Amino acid sequence: MSNTHDTSHDTHAPSVAVSPSEARFEIVLAILVAVIFLELPVHAPAAPANLLTLLLEVPLMGALAVLFIPRQWTAIIRRFSLAVMVIELWLSAWLFHGDYSGAGYQFSQDVEWIPSLGIRYAVGVDGISYWLVLLTTVLTPISLYVSYNSVSTKIKEYAFSFLLLEVGMIGAFVSLDLFLFYVFWELMLVPMYLIIGVWGGKDRIYAALKFFIYTMVGSLLMLVAILYVVAQYHSLSGEYSFALADLLRLQLTQSEQIWLFAAFALAFAIKVPMFPLHTWLPDAHVQAPTGGSVILAAVLLKLGGYGFIRFAMPLFPYASHYLGPTLAVFAVVGIIYGAACAWVQRDVKKLVAYSSVSHLGFVMLGIFSITRGGIEGAVLQMIAHGVSTGALFILVGVIYDRRHTRDLADFGGLAKAMPIYTTIFVIVTMSSVGLPGTNGFIGEFMILSGAFVSEELSVWERVFALFAATGVILAAVYMLHAVLKMFWGPLDKKANVGLADLNHREAIALSPLVFLIFWMGVFPSSMLDTMRPSVAHFIAQYDAGWRESYSADALRLRPAPGEEPADAEGEDEGDAEGGAEARAERPAADHALAMVGGAR
Amino acid sequence: MTSLFGDWAALMPLLVLAGAGMAMLLVDAFVKENAQLGLFSAVILAGTAMVSIGLWDEQVTAATPALLGGYLASDRLALFADVAMCLGAALASLLAGGYLREHKLDRGEFYVLLVWSTLGAMALVRATDLLSLFVSLEALSLGVYCLVAFRRHSPKSAEGAMKYFLLGSFASAILLFGMALLYGATVHTDFAGMAEALRTGETGDGPTDLRLGILGMALVLVGLAFKVSAVPFHMWTPDAYEGAVTPATTFMAVVVKAATIVVLVRVFFGVFGTEMLAAETSGWPSAVFGLAAITLVVGNVAALVQKNVKRMLAYSSIAHAGFLLVGIAAAAQLDEGRLTTETVSSVLFYVLAYTVSNVLAFGSLIVVGSRGKEAVSYEDLAGVGRRHPWVGVPFTLGILSLMGFPPTAGFFAKYWILEAAVNAGGAMTYLAILAVLMSAVGSYYYLKVLVYLFMKQPEQGAPVAVPMRSGYVVAALVLSSYFVLRMGLAPTAYLELAQGASYQLAGLPDPSAQPAEPAPADEAPTEVAAAPE
Repeated sequence: MSNTHDTSHDTHAPSVAVSPSEARFEIVLAILVAVIFLELPVHAPAAPANLLTLLLEVPLMGALAVLFIPRQWTAIIRRFSLAVMVIELWLSAWLFHGDYSGAGYQFSQDVEWIPSLGIRYAVGVDGISYWLVLLTTVLTPISLYVSYNSVSTKIKEYAFSFLLLEVGMIGAFVSLDLFLFYVFWELMLVPMYLIIGVWGGKDRIYAALKFFIYTMVGSLLMLVAILYVVAQYHSLSGEYSFALADLLRLQLTQSEQIWLFAAFALAFAIKVPMFPLHTWLPDAHVQAPTGGSVILAAVLLKLGGYGFIRFAMPLFPYASHYLGPTLAVFAVVGIIYGAACAWVQRDVKKLVAYSSVSHLGFVMLGIFSITRGGIEGAVLQMIAHGVSTGALFILVGVIYDRRHTRDLADFGGLAKAMPIYTTIFVIVTMSSVGLPGTNGFIGEFMILSGAFVSEELSVWERVFALFAATGVILAAVYMLHAVLKMFWGPLDKKANVGLADLNHREAIALSPLVFLIFWMGVFPSSMLDTMRPSVAHFIAQYDAGWRESYSADALRLRPAPGEEPADAEGEDEGDAEGGAEARAERPAADHALAMVGGAR
Repeated sequence: MTSLFGDWAALMPLLVLAGAGMAMLLVDAFVKENAQLGLFSAVILAGTAMVSIGLWDEQVTAATPALLGGYLASDRLALFADVAMCLGAALASLLAGGYLREHKLDRGEFYVLLVWSTLGAMALVRATDLLSLFVSLEALSLGVYCLVAFRRHSPKSAEGAMKYFLLGSFASAILLFGMALLYGATVHTDFAGMAEALRTGETGDGPTDLRLGILGMALVLVGLAFKVSAVPFHMWTPDAYEGAVTPATTFMAVVVKAATIVVLVRVFFGVFGTEMLAAETSGWPSAVFGLAAITLVVGNVAALVQKNVKRMLAYSSIAHAGFLLVGIAAAAQLDEGRLTTETVSSVLFYVLAYTVSNVLAFGSLIVVGSRGKEAVSYEDLAGVGRRHPWVGVPFTLGILSLMGFPPTAGFFAKYWILEAAVNAGGAMTYLAILAVLMSAVGSYYYLKVLVYLFMKQPEQGAPVAVPMRSGYVVAALVLSSYFVLRMGLAPTAYLELAQGASYQLAGLPDPSAQPAEPAPADEAPTEVAAAPE
């Protein structure tokens, strides 16, 4: 396998020169997009009922349309694909109209797809997935836009891949049918594989294959597990269904749950990625083009954590209760290991990639703490990580475009040459480190406080929190180390003198992210309030679920909510009360701490 | 159609194709120049598929088997197989129409052999007697031996054909020996009589010799496993696939495999579906289980190290045979002493999906090369997807479908086999896990094709593949792309066809039929379906 040819991506001209008038035009346009996005929820008419379908259709149609634009018309392809994504962004603003005061799904749609097998097209968002959809619709146009600075070959295929990727990501976040989820989950794989493999760096083929095969192994085993669950559901109820709501009624035996959870957890843990399954991530990130890295870090990795919250843990509560602390150990090891690896990297991009392993370890720890603060913090941390790591990858791309190196030793004193760049880099670094006032702080603090009082982590919860907290310190060490090497000190490398500062495109791409870093840092409650009912529902369901399996290990089907009204309601209430009682037993101090972590 | 042709209607697909085959012989003999035999045979084969579809809702009377002396049946299983095989053969002859002309091999006998082999395959899936089974199997095989040897001056082609012929004859001998033993055990050659004798233990002429019967069954399994290229009877496959001209490879991969799988289903579910022979741990399902496991492993692992794309596809077809055997083992579930056959539909759907995906992959491989520059190795594919996106797109689609990636036909095919296996429970669950792990292994060699298509460039000085131009090949690619996507996005209609076919095999009431006509047991459409009462 030789990669000697086609090194065009490595030798593109540093930042495409743009005429001032065009720059002004793009800046005005960007401001317009932002203003409309922020104003839309206030003035728009009621959202259409098929909003989520619309969100899937727009990028899909856009992708198909791109195929029919002649490849020479690169300017048109660029503008068209961006316009599609901006329309998608505006449409997603309608999601604000949903009623997230309860745990129910909003904008849900449920249509038969393959009736004979009970496969349905069921979509909906709740307080958790809605933020992840918004993250996707915000980050995708930014990553495509910033790519146009450096990707100059095969624009058509690039735009097509990004649009298709957006369909897959949004689809996976909104699916409420396991089959549909699996289809979208797999659908994301091919565009990302192409993005890494075609537009990536020197070892792109190795990285792309590794990425693909790691993910494929996990997801195929998950498919078998899904089929097993459906088979059990069929044996009890006599009908096939892949709908999450139906399958949640199924109570599996303990040993079944453990095997099935293991299969699901493998797929999701590879995606997160959790230590020790993370080895594909540094390769993929280093080889991927800037836009690909941004979307991979910001959105794709979130599907792992989301999968745990939405599918793996509610479906197999006993198994996650049984295996959760073990996985939490891996999460904590990942936090420290990722941080330690990041510390010794000389390649900035690899450093950011390992920092992702560390940050996502926090997310997993928060999820497995099963406290309100922990889970809310984990979701918040997912969004925050998406924003700040996305920004970091863009920033690394900026310097790579100018210098064609990412080695820390080649930089130094850049603050004198690129003041604006330095400012933004330091802001994003602070967010990644977790400085109060930025988004990184809120999530990590809530996760740590959640882990500190977690009952789920048995008697070791404080040890977990203690070790995880060292990850925060290490984050400061490796990030500040990188900042020190890159920006401060004398400007002694000749190549670094006179580097151009951010051009308008990079500035446009970064400014919404910087805005979000502060907005999430200062007003986290705007996000936490909407996810609270969903998280509370998740915990109640989870607690009731594992207790039920624990007290009576049996394969059975819980009655459907509407099936036997009197009976079922009584039982449901009983479950809910049981869960509430269980939580009330917690020591008051811990509860108070959880509130502190949970609320602000 | 019954009103027009009476009982002969059931034979219409065979008669149409036989008539066309004879006409083609004449055309080939008298019209030397510009005979569009490729198009002609494609149209005829597609027409035959249409006729078979037209017979779908015909109530086949008991007179039909009598008409043929009990040698052939015409049930939905056969009609379904007709559709899959005629579709595959029609697409293969379209591919041949472009390929043979491009490579200056355009001789009429190719199409004639192809049509007559398809006729053999169609008779094979209808066979309800050991004699008709053997005769039609040979009719199918002889034609295919010739097709493999079609490029007469190529040593590789001769080698592949010779290996295929010798090992094929050997397997036929084993099959025949098994049949002889079965006759000795049951004193019957017709399936219904054999099934009855094996179930009751009475031949009508003394007791059934079950030990002899089991031995015969094992030999029949070996003979058929050779034809589906299951490990360890697969040795001929890579050489024959590599040596044959690519349209002939396509034909072998889709038609021969489909016919053998269907006949395997008919014989093993129909004849050997008794409680003793089909017992989960000691009967033939466990043998099929073992064959499936080893076929999956060897097929996928051997495909990893291939340097030639055609050989890779040959090993991938072995791996797919493993998947089909998983489906058969999963479907063989005893229910009150009888085999249930609903899950055979997953095998049948797989056959259909595999047919169109394989045509797409082989067709794309054909279109990449041109005269003197046939694409065989991975290196030949380097950068083709980028230089010629309209070649790269169908190739990608075919490869993704073979890999089993949504939303393509291959995904649902694989999915339903896995679903059947998981539903069967027990050891089948482990086989399902092995199957998905092997699929993950498989994704490596399939992805390698995509890597070369899109991510590599030809070496300096290496020959650069130039895609050929041919309306025939393009038509085949467009058609098979359509089917791959259609079965991937809305598979319900095709699955219902497969379910209809599998219900009728067992003599079960067909859910799609009008509930007003309960079919009495004596009017059960096939002899195979011997009613239990």
